[in-house]
Amino acid sequence: MIGLIVRRLLQLPIILLVIFTITLALAWALPGNPLENPDRPVPPDIEYALKQQYHLDSFWSFYGHYLYNATGARYIKERAGGDIAERRRRAIESGIEPPRRPIFDLGPSLRQRDWSVNTIIAESLPVSMTLGGLAILLAIALGLTAGILGATRPNSMLDVTTLIIALIGISLPSFVIGTALLLVFGVWLGVSPVQGLHSPWALLLPAVTLSLPFAAYIARLTRMGMIDALATDYVRTARAKGVSERNILLRHALKNAFLPVLSYLGPATALAMTGSFVVERVFSIPGLGRNFVNAVQNKDFTLIIGVVLVFSTMLILFNLVVDLLYRWIDPRIE
Amino acid sequence: MSKLLAPVLVLVALVVGLVVIDPPPPPADFAYINRGDVNTLDLQRMSWMQDLRVARMIFEGLVANDVFTYGFEPVPAVAESWEIERYTEDVGGMPIPRERYTFHLREDARWSNGSPVQASDFAYAWMRGILPDIASDYAKMFTFIRGVDDFKQWRSEQTRQFTTRTRGMTDEEKARAARELWDQTQERFRTTVGIKTPDSRTFVVELAEPVPYFLDLCAFPPLFPVYEPLVRQYDELDPLTGRIQPREGWTKPPHIVCNGPMMLTRWRYLREMRFERNPYYWNPDVLGVNSISIPSVADPNAQVLAFERGEVGWVSDVTVGYRVEMLRKKRDFYDEHKDEYTRLKALGLDQFEIDRRLPPDPRKNIHAVPAFGTYWYNFNCLPRLPDGRPNPFHDARVRRAFAMMIDKRAICEDVQRIGNPIARTMIPAGAIGGYASPRGLDCISDATTPAERQAMIDRARALLAEAGYPDPRQLPEIQILFNKDAGHDLLAQVVQRNWQEYLGVRVSLVQKEVGVFRDDLKNANYMVSRAGWYGDYGDPTTFLDVNRTGDGNNDRKYSNPVFDDLLLQARRETDPVRRFEILAEAERILVEEDLPLVPIYVYVNVYLFNPDLVSGINPHPRSEQLMHLVDILGDGIGPDRPRVMRHSPDDNPFSDAKAGRP
Repeated sequence: MIGLIVRRLLQLPIILLVIFTITLALAWALPGNPLENPDRPVPPDIEYALKQQYHLDSFWSFYGHYLYNATGARYIKERAGGDIAERRRRAIESGIEPPRRPIFDLGPSLRQRDWSVNTIIAESLPVSMTLGGLAILLAIALGLTAGILGATRPNSMLDVTTLIIALIGISLPSFVIGTALLLVFGVWLGVSPVQGLHSPWALLLPAVTLSLPFAAYIARLTRMGMIDALATDYVRTARAKGVSERNILLRHALKNAFLPVLSYLGPATALAMTGSFVVERVFSIPGLGRNFVNAVQNKDFTLIIGVVLVFSTMLILFNLVVDLLYRWIDPRIE
Repeated sequence: MSKLLAPVLVLVALVVGLVVIDPPPPPADFAYINRGDVNTLDLQRMSWMQDLRVARMIFEGLVANDVFTYGFEPVPAVAESWEIERYTEDVGGMPIPRERYTFHLREDARWSNGSPVQASDFAYAWMRGILPDIASDYAKMFTFIRGVDDFKQWRSEQTRQFTTRTRGMTDEEKARAARELWDQTQERFRTTVGIKTPDSRTFVVELAEPVPYFLDLCAFPPLFPVYEPLVRQYDELDPLTGRIQPREGWTKPPHIVCNGPMMLTRWRYLREMRFERNPYYWNPDVLGVNSISIPSVADPNAQVLAFERGEVGWVSDVTVGYRVEMLRKKRDFYDEHKDEYTRLKALGLDQFEIDRRLPPDPRKNIHAVPAFGTYWYNFNCLPRLPDGRPNPFHDARVRRAFAMMIDKRAICEDVQRIGNPIARTMIPAGAIGGYASPRGLDCISDATTPAERQAMIDRARALLAEAGYPDPRQLPEIQILFNKDAGHDLLAQVVQRNWQEYLGVRVSLVQKEVGVFRDDLKNANYMVSRAGWYGDYGDPTTFLDVNRTGDGNNDRKYSNPVFDDLLLQARRETDPVRRFEILAEAERILVEEDLPLVPIYVYVNVYLFNPDLVSGINPHPRSEQLMHLVDILGDGIGPDRPRVMRHSPDDNPFSDAKAGRP
């Protein structure tokens, strides 16, 4: 177990370096200039100076500088060389709080020039994680209930109804569901705010919207797993022993039927927690997903790379957690 | 079962743990949705309209524009008074006219931390605007100052040589060399650039030549001051390159120090910007609210819903598709109150005040306001197309023929449908006080009868014949380049149909992603393309300059020595009336003879606010909103009287009659 954790964690930086290189190469090939306001194109000399400022003058210059800053090498060097202490001293002399210097500096966003990628991620990742976590919880609750109900009476009205709802959940795009929920609960009933994150309640509608596709998928997985499990010998034995139907469903059948759901939950949680662009946009939620599409559209290299690295790290970590949970739930798995 | 519950419990714990959301601040007096999220509040590095709008609320320049006059009169701001001196300087035996502005800063101008606003704060800010290292988007605005061009050239040269000069040095030596160069740079700035600070309350600017609109420039945020002790700490010297590297961070609370009527007290990424009164502002009586909030709402639909729910008081850029429908309902509302509307209009009231005096009705909350910008079509004017073939649009006659055949009315009424005025000139007609726009070229929608229409078509075809294309089918296939989104495709289809129908040419449409589109435009890799421009200051040159030979934004690669010479003459002309005449002649060449571009329509801003409730938003087409003037009527804070445009009906340059609109 420990070996697995150590091995995976050692792999992490190497995987991230590969992902960084590929992402940067792809983003570099995107057309357009991230430093330009399309309404107000700048003259060539300014464009040149801006590119110098952000080390965008060549691929390798950017690559080198990014790694120098992001790996903490620069921080260590400046710390050792006394630069940081010197700057602190000068700032305090002028009566100014010294500028903050992160150890792993992912650089400034190229479009949102007042924001460092570190701050952007620190501000938006918790929001996306909360929303995604809530959505996954809802999805598990809804999905398991619907799946179990459907499996107990296959092809009954109840089963068909949950199937249809699941189908709608998967196929209706979330901007339709989201806008409809906003209109009903936000405007007509007036029970939910239309925009922003002013209270925990504001998370409810977006969480429901975000959870539906996951819930639908979980429902289908559970139903399939449960139908298979209910047809097995051990369930028949349990029934013969006189175990209550409730216990059969929840204790015996669900345990096996849940494993495929669990392996789905790893990437699903990572996906939900790193933010959905559509849901975050419709509900004006300040999460990570909104950044991502904006960043790609603006060719904002530093932000693209920052978000991709966060997403990759989370995906790897959640898969590790799922693997660990697997072994814990079912010790036979090695 | 308990094992199964475990992961769920972990998730629950996570969510509960993370739902410890920081307590939201109480609602602000006024909330509005900006055009987009603010990209930067670094005054010298900003260029986006939403950034400029916020900058005007929290910073203040030497002078301000009175946005409730049509002339946008400059009024005292940090400078309580100023003198303008004309003099001639003898440069190598040539008398060169110069201009000197001496600004006297008011004693009670204060930063939000209580320190006085000093001349050195302006000098430092302007140096940032000029330094090539900072790469100000608006660096051009400082080039009027004496010595700036030489200084910039010198600094660029020095930083370029720095890397080669310091190759092989130790890190310590490099750092010392960088520091020496920076000291030298600051000294050179002090001695050679025409920016002087004789004392802490006097700021002197010497211009290389008289600039009649210089005060207007001084009211533009990139020329506002920054709090020097703060920003210096963030402009870090990079020992590897010898350049100043601006570091982000000082523009955010709690670090930011402002000198405007409001100050930024909270800025959460993609959530909200919150502003409160600056307790040290010298003129607190002008404020209409105590706090302002800008929530970040990206979805156009959610923006409208937020207004309907009363969560925001103003949506500054309504982009939903159904705004067409909303504006139609507003016209219905006007029709229902036709007599009253006509009477109020005859009084010369501004459009918001007219709405205010009409009966309350939710339909009147939407407003289409002409903007200080024009949408047009570019022609590539180079002799050859990117693929080496001869370019038919190199010939002005061909450009004129094509320009005449665009049905601008159909574009405004059938495609745009939000009341854009038809544009015949590059500069929105009437938007600059005292400037008489040329008439512009007639287009096919100006023909009122079929005979007139045919005559115009014949005229265009004759122009083509003159240019060597008696049979228009000899022309190569015309390609119209535009970026996807924002309905450019629908407009291009109208133009395509017009040219095919009236000129009998083959026309194809090329739609590209906006980044590729920009690159193509820059490299003149197109035949015809959509384009547009918003003016920055109240002078015709803010538009005309982009057609000067070699200008960085001359995507048309248009070059006419006569036009360039007129711009030069205007620069040297000291009589303002004569100067405007020269510039009008230059614009006439553009829009009547040479047509490197075809003006199509004047941009329109669509606002959403309740005029009975909110005052302080002005309908001036320069689209400059001073948010600290916003006043909630009847809330007991601020003047609580509607702010209206001050003018007599005659001097309203935007009246329909003056703008040539029916």
